[in-house]
Amino acid sequence: MGLRSTLRYAVLALLLVGLIAGGALWAQRRQPVIVTALMPAPFAQATEPIVATFNRTHPDIELRVNRGPFETESISDLAISSLLLGDSPYDLLLMDVTWTPKYAAAGWLAPLEPLLGEDALAGVVPGAQEGNRFDGHLWRIPLVADMGLLYWRTDLMAAPPRTPDELMATASRLQRSGRVRWGYVWQGRQYEGLSCVFLEVLRAFGGQWLTDSGDRVELGNPGGVAAASWLRQLIDRGITPRAVANFAEPEALQSFEAGDVALMRNWPYAWAELQKPGSKVRGKVGVTTMVATSEGATAATQGSWGFSLVSQSPHPREAALVIAALTSPEVQKDLARRLGYTPTLSALFEDPELVAANPVLPELRRALDHTVLRPLSPLYAQLSDILQRQLSEVITGERQAPAAMERAQRLSNQVLRASGVGTSAVEATP
Amino acid sequence: MSGDQRPQGLVLEGLERRVGNNLVLDNLNLGVAPGECLALLGPSGCGKTTILRLIAGLDRPSAGSIHLDGVDITEQPPSRREVGMVFQSYALYPHLSVERNLSLGMELRGLPRDRVQQQISSVLELLQLTAQRRRRPAELSGGQRQRVALARALVRQPRIYLLDEPMSNLDAQLREDLRAELRLLLCGGPQPVVYVTHDQQEAMGLADRIAVLHEGRLQQIGTPRQLYQEPANLFVAGFIGRPRINVLPAEAGRIRAIRPEHLELVEEGGLEARVLVREWQGASQLLQLDTPHGRWRMVCPARLEVAESARVGWLPKRELCFEAGSGRRLAWRNTA
Amino acid sequence: MNLLLTLPALLLLALVFAVPLLRYGWLSFHADSVITGLQPVPNGGANWLRLIEDERFWQNTVQTLRFAGLSVALELLLGLALALLLHQRWRGRTAVRTITLLPWALPTAVMALGWRWIFNDPYGPINALVQALGQPALPFLSSPASTWFVVVLADVWKTTPFVALLLLAGLQTIPSDLYEAFALDGGSPWQALRRITLPLLLPYAFLAVLFRLAQALGVFDLVQILTGGGPAGSTETLALYSYLTAMRFLDFGYSATVMLGMFLLLLGLTTALLLGRRWLAGGRA
Repeated sequence: MGLRSTLRYAVLALLLVGLIAGGALWAQRRQPVIVTALMPAPFAQATEPIVATFNRTHPDIELRVNRGPFETESISDLAISSLLLGDSPYDLLLMDVTWTPKYAAAGWLAPLEPLLGEDALAGVVPGAQEGNRFDGHLWRIPLVADMGLLYWRTDLMAAPPRTPDELMATASRLQRSGRVRWGYVWQGRQYEGLSCVFLEVLRAFGGQWLTDSGDRVELGNPGGVAAASWLRQLIDRGITPRAVANFAEPEALQSFEAGDVALMRNWPYAWAELQKPGSKVRGKVGVTTMVATSEGATAATQGSWGFSLVSQSPHPREAALVIAALTSPEVQKDLARRLGYTPTLSALFEDPELVAANPVLPELRRALDHTVLRPLSPLYAQLSDILQRQLSEVITGERQAPAAMERAQRLSNQVLRASGVGTSAVEATP
Repeated sequence: MSGDQRPQGLVLEGLERRVGNNLVLDNLNLGVAPGECLALLGPSGCGKTTILRLIAGLDRPSAGSIHLDGVDITEQPPSRREVGMVFQSYALYPHLSVERNLSLGMELRGLPRDRVQQQISSVLELLQLTAQRRRRPAELSGGQRQRVALARALVRQPRIYLLDEPMSNLDAQLREDLRAELRLLLCGGPQPVVYVTHDQQEAMGLADRIAVLHEGRLQQIGTPRQLYQEPANLFVAGFIGRPRINVLPAEAGRIRAIRPEHLELVEEGGLEARVLVREWQGASQLLQLDTPHGRWRMVCPARLEVAESARVGWLPKRELCFEAGSGRRLAWRNTA
Repeated sequence: MNLLLTLPALLLLALVFAVPLLRYGWLSFHADSVITGLQPVPNGGANWLRLIEDERFWQNTVQTLRFAGLSVALELLLGLALALLLHQRWRGRTAVRTITLLPWALPTAVMALGWRWIFNDPYGPINALVQALGQPALPFLSSPASTWFVVVLADVWKTTPFVALLLLAGLQTIPSDLYEAFALDGGSPWQALRRITLPLLLPYAFLAVLFRLAQALGVFDLVQILTGGGPAGSTETLALYSYLTAMRFLDFGYSATVMLGMFLLLLGLTTALLLGRRWLAGGRA
C-alpha cells in the first residue's frame, strides 16, 4: 500500500468521524425536554388525545403522563412518597384543591406567577379562582371545576326545595306517598366527602368552620351544632337511610340512579352518569344548589382539580408551558364536550355548543357563584379528619351533635395551637 | 355366643383381608396358646403386619373371625381389646414423659392413681428405666426407647402381646441382648405372644413356633426345627436357613435342593466347582462356588483346606425334594 | 467461621429491621412536620408525652388489640377445623384444598372492595337476601358495633386458609401410629384430638398465632378500603393512624412515635407469648 492511498483512507476516516460527531451533536440539540405529569387514572385517560396533540405541536417538549391510581388520596400518597424521597420523577401534579397549602408549606411546589404572570387566573370563574393562592403566591392553575350540587327528581316535584325544612317536608311527603323509599342521600362515610357535605350544611345554617383570621375553629357555635343536628335528624326521621354512614359518592349515586331516592347531594360528574341508558331516572333529574336557612347562605363546596409545578422540576419553563396549554380554552372545551367535565374558564359557560351538549351548564355556573372553600391551611387534613370523626359519631348516634361539635372544635384548636398557627396568617382568598 | 368351647389363647379362623381388589391376607387359620410365642415370618409385603393389625383391631378383616380366650373380638374396637402392642416405630407419645407414656392408657381406663404409680414403678424398674422416668422420648437412646415401648405394652397387663418388628431399628449387638430379655419378659406368662419379624434368626431364637407367610398365604407353621428339617415347600426351604439352600434344576417334575452346610468335598461324583469367594466366619467358612448349576453356597469347618478347583457332593439323605410345579415337598427321603 | 457464614444474613437483618427502627427511634424525639418545613427539630420527649395523652392512640390500641385478638382466635379455631377436615381422606379433597386457599391468594384491596359490596345496604347480596325474606335491610357498615365485626369477618375469611395450611402441615407430621397406639391405650377419637393432636400441633399453632398476630396488629389496607377507619373512628387501627399522621398530616415525628408505640405493643405481646409457651412446655413434662 502506497503513501497516497494511506493518506486517502485517513482523510476518509476523518470525514466519517466528523460526520458521526456532528450528527450526534445535532441529535442532542434536537432532543426534546421531557416533562412528566402525574394524574389520576381518569384524567390521564381523558387527556390522552390532548397530550398527543401537544406533543405533535411542540417538538422540543415531550409531555409524558404518568397514570396514577383511581382514588384521590392514593394519588396524594404516590406524589408525597416521591416528593419525600427528594428526587421526584414528576414535574407536574394534577392536584385536589385541599392539597395546595400543605404541599406549598412543605416546599414541594414552585410559585407560578413568575412563569405565568400575576393574571394567570384572569379568565377563571371567581368560584374556581379560590384555593389556588396561599401565602401570597399562586401554586395551582385549575383545569376542572367541581362543586357540591343538589340533585332532584323533576318527575316528583315541581321545584327543588330551597331550605332545610322544605327539603325535609318534600322528602317526607314523597316517602309517605310511597313514590320513593328514601328522601335524601348524601356522603356520610367517615372520609373527606363528609367534610364537603357538612361544609355546605354548615353554611346553610350560618356557621363557619374556621374564623376569617384562620386561627380558630368555630364548629361548636350554634351554626355548627344546628348543621350537625340537621344531618342527624335526616337519619332519625328516616329521610336518609342509616346506611349513609358508609356512603361515599358511588353508593349515593347508586341509590339515586335506582330511582329509590328523591334528592341527592353529589358532584357534577353524577349528572352524566344519571343520563346513561342503565339509569332509571334518566331525563328526570334536575340540578340546583344546596338548601339554606335565612341565617345562612346556599353553598357549594369547591373541589377542583388543577396543575401545580413541582419545585424540583429541572424544566420549570417547559412545564409552565404545558400547564398553560393543558388549561387552555380549547382543551377545557374539548374535555367538557367529550366527557362533560366542568370547565373553569368563564367564557366557556356561555359557549352555545357546550350549553347545547350539557343543559345543566348554566346551573353549574350559578353554583360556582356560591362556592365555599374548605379551610385553606397546611393543617387542613388534620382539621378535616377531626371533623369527619365527630360527624361520623353524630351520624351513627354515638354522640349528640352539641357534644360532638364542641369536641371537634376543642381538638381542632389544640392542633392549631400546637403548631403555632394563630399568629401566622392563613390567607383568605382575595 | 355359640356353645362350642374354644380354647384359651388366640384363635384366628378363615381370616381374610382385601384392600380394593388386592387380597392381602388369604384364609388364615392359626392358634396361639397362652404363654406361647409365635413368630410371623416372611418377606416384606407377605401380610404378617396385616395379621397383627387385624388382631389389634387397627384394620378390619374382610372375612373370618378372631377369638381371644374364647371370646369373639372380631367386631370389638381396638380400645376394648386389651392388647399390648409394640410398634416398629415404637409410637411413643413425643410430648409426654416416659412415665406419662406408660400411665396414659391406665388413666384413660380410669385406674386408681396409686395403683397406676405402683405398676409403672415396678415395670420401669424391671426394664431399668427408673432413671429416665421423667425424660421425654427424644431424650432417650434407641435402646431405651425400645424398652419404653415394651414397658408400655407390659404395664397395662394385656391379654395378648403383639410385637411388630420391635428390634428392626436397633444395632445387632443390642438386638441380641434384647432378644433374651424379651423372651424372659413376655413368653411363658398367661398371654399369647405374636411377634412379627422378617429376620429368621430372630424368629428362630425367640419363638416357640414360627408361621412363615408369603404373598398373603400361610406357607407353614411349626417349630424352628420342623421348618428347617421339613420345610413344607420350596419357599420355606429357601427362606429358612442361612446361607440359602442350593437348588438343582428341575428334572422329571422334581426339584432337589441341598443345604450349604450339607455339602462336602468328594473325590469323585458330585459337581465340579470353582471357589469364587471365601468368607471366613471363625469356626466355619462360607464358600461361594461356581458350579454347572449356577452359584452355590457351601459351609464347612474353617480348618478344611479347599483348593481353587474342587468337587462337591452330598449324602442323598440330606436332599430335600420338591414338586416342580407347586413347590410342595415330596417324600422326606429321596429314593432315586 | 460460623460467624463469617452468618454475617451476610445478620447484615441483611440489621438493614431490614434495625436501620428503620433506629431511624424511627431518632425521629420520635423530633418534630418533623409541615410546620417545621419537614426539617427534623429536636423536641425532647414531646412526641412521647403526646402519645401518652393521646386518647385516639389508646382507643386505637384497644381497637387494634380487639380486632387482632378476635380475628386470630377465630382463625385459629376455624383453621384447625379446616385443617382437620382437609387432613381426612375423602373424595375431592385435593380440589377443596386448592379452593380453600383462594382467599389467601386474593389481593386484600380487591377482597375489601368485595366485602364492601357484599355488605352494602341495601343493594349488597346479603341485604338482597334479607329483604327477600321480608326483613328490612341491615346497616352492617353503618354502626360501630357491626362494622368492626365485618372487618374481623373479612380478615378471618382471607387468612383462615393460611392458618389452616400451617396446621395442616403440622398434622401431617404426626405419625398415624400414634393414634393407633392411643386407640390401643383405650382412647376415643375425641380424646385423641385433645391428648395427641392438639399438644403436638401446639408448635404450629404457636407459629400461626405469632405470624397472624404480627399481621393483624399491623392491619392497614383492609381497614383503609373497607371502612376508612369509620364509622366514628371505630375501626381505626394503629397502622392506619400512623399512616394518616405521616401521609395525610405530614407529621413524621409523631407518626414515627405511633409506629414505635405499635412496635412496642407487638414486642410485648410476642414476648408474653414466648414466655407463655415456655411455661406451657415446662408444665407439661
